[in-house]
Amino acid sequence: MKQQSSHPGTFSHWEARIPLLLTYVILIAGAFVMIMPFAWMVSTSIKPDREIFGDSIQWLPSELDMQNYTDAFEQTNMPRLFANTVLVTAVAVASQVLLGSMAGYVFARLHFRGKMLLFFALLTTMMVPFEVLIIPVFLLIRFFPLAGGNDLFGQGGTGLINTLGGVMFPNFVSVFGVFLFRQFYLGFPKEIEEAAIVDGCSRVGVYWRILIPNSKPVMGTMALFAFLWSWNDFLWPLVVVKEDSLKTIQLGLSVFDQEQGTAWAELMAASVMAVVPVILLYIFLQRFLVSGGLTSGLKG
Amino acid sequence: MGASFSRRDSLYRLVNSQAFVALLFLAAPVLLLAALKIYPVFYNLYLSFTRYELFEPPRFVGMKNYNYVFNNSVTRQSIINTLLFTIEAVPIGTALALVIAKLLDQSIRGRVFLRTLYYLPVVSSVVVSAMIWRWIYSPQHGLLNYFLGAVGIPPQNWLNDPNLALISLVIVTIWGSIGSNMVIFLAGLQDIPRDVIEAARVDGANPLQNFLLITVPLMRPVILFVVVTFTIGIFRNFGLIFMLTQGGPFNRTNTMVWEVYQNVFGYLRLGRGAAISVVMLVIVLILTLISFRVLRERQGA
Repeated sequence: MKQQSSHPGTFSHWEARIPLLLTYVILIAGAFVMIMPFAWMVSTSIKPDREIFGDSIQWLPSELDMQNYTDAFEQTNMPRLFANTVLVTAVAVASQVLLGSMAGYVFARLHFRGKMLLFFALLTTMMVPFEVLIIPVFLLIRFFPLAGGNDLFGQGGTGLINTLGGVMFPNFVSVFGVFLFRQFYLGFPKEIEEAAIVDGCSRVGVYWRILIPNSKPVMGTMALFAFLWSWNDFLWPLVVVKEDSLKTIQLGLSVFDQEQGTAWAELMAASVMAVVPVILLYIFLQRFLVSGGLTSGLKG
Repeated sequence: MGASFSRRDSLYRLVNSQAFVALLFLAAPVLLLAALKIYPVFYNLYLSFTRYELFEPPRFVGMKNYNYVFNNSVTRQSIINTLLFTIEAVPIGTALALVIAKLLDQSIRGRVFLRTLYYLPVVSSVVVSAMIWRWIYSPQHGLLNYFLGAVGIPPQNWLNDPNLALISLVIVTIWGSIGSNMVIFLAGLQDIPRDVIEAARVDGANPLQNFLLITVPLMRPVILFVVVTFTIGIFRNFGLIFMLTQGGPFNRTNTMVWEVYQNVFGYLRLGRGAAISVVMLVIVLILTLISFRVLRERQGA
C-alpha cells in the first residue's frame, strides 16, 4: 500500500488482485527466454572451442578465455569497423538533432503561408518505409552530381557509392525528429521568448539562446533514436559499401560469418563487441527514451 | 547617417522576418526530405513502368512489370510468404506483449529492471540478433537442439528445413518485437479508467475475467495500432532474411522485401524491383491509414 501511494495515478488499481507469485513466475520465465540468447552469446564468446563443441552442454566456461575476442578483433579489422561506425553515427546524431530542432522551431513558432501544408506533406512521408524507396535512393547516390567521378548530370562515375558520405546521406534528417522537436517546442512556454523579443533578441537568437539550452530531454531522445538507427543500420550500408575498409560494424559482422564458416566463438565475441555500446547507451538514457520519446509521441 | 541607419534597420527587419528565418531554417531539412522521401516515391512509381538495368536509360514497358509481379510464381510466392509471416507472427507476438505489459503495469519490485530486460532485443541490432539465433538454431551444437534432445526430440535443421525455416524466423521476430510492442501497451494501459476495473472487481470479476472482458475491449484501439505497426515491421524485415535464410530453402522465406533486393541487386532488374516495392508501399499505406484512423478514434473517445 505504501508503495502504491508513492506513485499516485501510475498504476491501475487491480494489481493487488493478480496473485503476486503468478505474476513473478510468468514475468521471470518470460525475461529468462528474452535474455537467454544474449547470455548464450556471452557464454560462447568466453569459452574455448572444446567446451563449445562438446557432447554435452556447458553452461559456463571452466575458465575465462578471452582468446576469441583477440581473434575476432584481428580477423574483422575491428578498429576500422568501429571507426567507420562511430563516424557515420556521430554525423547522423548531430545532423538529426540540429536539423530536427531547427525545423521543429519553425513549425512550432513561426508563421508563413503554406506552413501547415508543408508540415503535413512532411508528416505523410513518415508513412513511407525506407525499404520501399531503396531503388530511387540508391540511384540518387549512384548518380550524385560531381561525386566519385560523376559529371554535373551524374554520369561517368560511381557517385557516392562506396563512400562513407553515401552511407551518411539518407541519415542527415529524420521526419520523426522534426515532429518530435515541434511537439516539444509547442509545449514550451511562449512568454520567455516573447519577453526576449521585446528586449530586442532576434528570432535566431531566441532559437539559439532560449530554445536550444532548454531542449536537453528532447535532444537526448532524438540522439538515442538516431544513434540506434545509424549504429544498427544494415540494409543501406550493405547496398552502398563494397570495400572492406569502408564497412560499418554491422556489415563487418554479417560477412564475418560467411568468411569464417562456423567460427562461432569468434563470431559471438564480435557480436558482443557490436552490441555492448548500444546496450550501455540505452541503459544510460532509458529514462529519456520511455518518458520523453515513445509515450509523448504516442499521445501527441 | 540617418539614412544608412534606417537602411540597416530595414535590412535587420527583413532578415529577422518570420518568412526569412523559416526559409533559412527549413532549407536544408526540407530539401533533404524532398530528395530522400518525396521525389523517390514518384521516381519509384515511374521506374515500375520501365525496363531498367542501370547501364542504359529506363525504357517504358507499360504494365509488364506488374504482370510479372502477379503472375511469376516466385514473386507471387513472396507475397504469400509475407502474408504467412504476418499471420504467424502478429497474433501471438501481440498477445504476448499485451500480457507482459499488463503484468508489468503493477507496483511490483524489479519492475523497471524486468522492463529493461524485455526491451533489450529491440536495442540489439538485427545483425547481432540474427547471429545469436543462427547459433542457437545450429543443427550441430545448437542450443535449441540440445534442449529438444533433453526431452527426446531428434535434432532439427531449423533454417534449412522447408517446413521449419519460416517458423524459425517468426520466433526470432516475435522475440525481437515484444519489447517495443510492450512499451506501446504500457502507455495505453495508463489511459484505462481504473474505476471501471475496480467496479468489475467489486462485482466479483477475477483478474482473468477483468483482463479479458474489461482491459482487452478498452485497449482495442491500441491493440489494432500495435497490430498494424507490427505488420509494417514485418514487411520491412530484411536483415533477418538476409542473415538467416537468404529467402530459402525453396523460396519458403522469400518475402517481398527480399524479392525487391534480389531483383535489384541480384539480377539488376530495377523495373521489376520497383514494381514489387510499389505493391509493398500500397499495402503499407493502407495499413498506416487504418492505424491513423484508429488512433484518432481513440483520442476522440
